[in-house]
Amino acid sequence: MAAPSRTLLSDLPKGHEFSPPPFDLTREYLNAYASATRDSNTVYDETGLAPPLAVAARALGALLDEVELPPGSLHTGQEIEMRAGVPRSARLTLSGRIAQRSERGGLIIAVLQFDVTANDGTEPALTGRTTVVMRQEQERQA
Amino acid sequence: MTAPAVAPVTKQLSQQQVNEYADASDDHNPIHVDEAFAAASPLGGTIAHGMLVLATISEMMAASLGEAWLTNGKLKVRFRAPARTADTVTASAKALTASAKALTASATPQESADGAAYRYAVECRNQDGEVLISGTAQVAAGG
Repeated sequence: MAAPSRTLLSDLPKGHEFSPPPFDLTREYLNAYASATRDSNTVYDETGLAPPLAVAARALGALLDEVELPPGSLHTGQEIEMRAGVPRSARLTLSGRIAQRSERGGLIIAVLQFDVTANDGTEPALTGRTTVVMRQEQERQA
Repeated sequence: MTAPAVAPVTKQLSQQQVNEYADASDDHNPIHVDEAFAAASPLGGTIAHGMLVLATISEMMAASLGEAWLTNGKLKVRFRAPARTADTVTASAKALTASAKALTASATPQESADGAAYRYAVECRNQDGEVLISGTAQVAAGG
């Protein structure tokens, strides 16, 4: 039986909320991230904090795990705000939503806003806004 | 109030590195990792993940500003052009006038108690000088 196809990000309305389960920021992931980005800065070890982009990339991956990006989607903008350091072994709780959605010239522009809270904190340690541009369905099928 | 200097960071990309990033981030979009697929696409070849190239800017800021960047940094960028997997990319930052209320009218954690923040124009270019990413970075003064 074929696996059911996932919902396309382009089909979700403004205000749609994402609530992926909490996950751990593992040493394995951070090592793989540091190796892939060729970032050997010692500040992460010295402070015990994770690279902010590692946290943001992991958060985005968790959000987009719930949906499928239409072919040809473009990541056109990114905002990241570090409000506190994220410990390297933190358990992360993520919430996200489609903060903006517009259609223009056969394109859908969606802004995903996400908050990352570390270790059951009450305030986000990192927030982000990701802009994705996608083609509308009828355009993709043409 | 003079913003600390931020030294540029240059990285040579490769398909191997992009493949490693795809594994680490679990983003195996074929435009990044499938050379045959990408060759047949309008882009004509594989491109690096935007977040991989953006990591060069964050690395640059962390190298110069240290823990303050990890705890109080703020980054706002647009992806202007894709980075090819064989590109050499250079991240750089230019200090802007320090502001008591830097990016917004509302106080944010990026601003220290007196509201002061260092603000930079940041960008990432390839070996041909093409701007791949541009935007602003900010960190609390004395943070």
